[in-house]
Amino acid sequence: MRDLFRGELVRITAEEPEARAKSEVRWQRDTEFHRLADSDAAQITSERKIKEWFEKQAEQGFKPERHPFSVRTLDEDKYIGFFGLWVDLIHSVAWVGIGIGERDFWGKGYGTDMMKLCLQYAFTELCVERVSLGLHEYNPRALRSYEKCGFRLEGRTRKDILREGRRTDTLWMGILREEWLQMQNGDLI
Amino acid sequence: MKDVFTGKLVRLSAVDPEEMSKAFTRWNRDSEYTRLLMMSAQPLSSAKAIQKWMEKEMEGVSPTDFFFTIRTLDENKLLGGLGLNVISWAARESFIAIFIGEREDWGKGYGTDAMSIVLRYAFTELNLQRVSLGVFEYNPRAIRSYEKVGFQHEGRMRKYLNHEGKRWDLFYMGILREEWLQMQNGDKT
Repeated sequence: MRDLFRGELVRITAEEPEARAKSEVRWQRDTEFHRLADSDAAQITSERKIKEWFEKQAEQGFKPERHPFSVRTLDEDKYIGFFGLWVDLIHSVAWVGIGIGERDFWGKGYGTDMMKLCLQYAFTELCVERVSLGLHEYNPRALRSYEKCGFRLEGRTRKDILREGRRTDTLWMGILREEWLQMQNGDLI
Repeated sequence: MKDVFTGKLVRLSAVDPEEMSKAFTRWNRDSEYTRLLMMSAQPLSSAKAIQKWMEKEMEGVSPTDFFFTIRTLDENKLLGGLGLNVISWAARESFIAIFIGEREDWGKGYGTDAMSIVLRYAFTELNLQRVSLGVFEYNPRAIRSYEKVGFQHEGRMRKYLNHEGKRWDLFYMGILREEWLQMQNGDKT
């Protein structure tokens, strides 16, 4: 039987607000990471403020529509990134956000492994019908990784993002429950 | 298209803790009402205490609890209330409790009508898979009403509670989404 919280390269963890703030404050200062992960204006926030934000989130406790996770590598137990699932409870669909803050772990299959765990959680634990995500056109590495996990390109918002003087598209991808189940070859939790 | 909160005899409306707490002090004085509704010893509480409790229960927006009051269509008279609690969004299972306060309003089809409105709400608005309920063996009027709207007998806890010097069973009833859909004859909201 598969482990719900353990993949081939990473495992899912719940980090304390202190640990999250300590890493997040570094990741936030990496412009390329910010450009790939977000479309907001880059911001510099103090470690204390970030910690307070995570503490507030922790105080709110369990919410069935929100499932945030942290991620550590299996070999060094290094905290490298995060993902979160946001569920529309009425329609049983989820949106995913994912990121690897530690650059040394880009392009090595860690993100793909994380996304596989994320989809496993979404389809076997949250029992959603589909998982959606959006990404920037200028992030082909992410696109390839999502395709490997079974996501299909479903659409695009043309000239959506203005970055470095150029407007680029936002791409929308999705994977359906049946498609994911088929990929598992009956090997389920 | 049908109005989702309106039935043939009654409509569902929002809960006003001040109005409801006053009504509860009246209804709670009738021990038959409390015997049919709950198995705990019913203390007589002041309207103020009930109102405070209700306001606390309703604090914040919970995506899992749905409370309504029941009113007549013709005179807008407050008849009672109901609460639908989603047990698990992943399983899409819920539990319902319903009550009509005044004896003079019992046995007139108000509860049955309110239950059919809330089933429509559960299956077409919340997209749930199941609605469950518990009812005491000595409440045949309620059991008949639940059967009318499509609930099936699913189980019983034998000799579960005391009533008038005897022990009685607690019945569990439930209705599935497919069963409810079939009863609508294609006449959906």
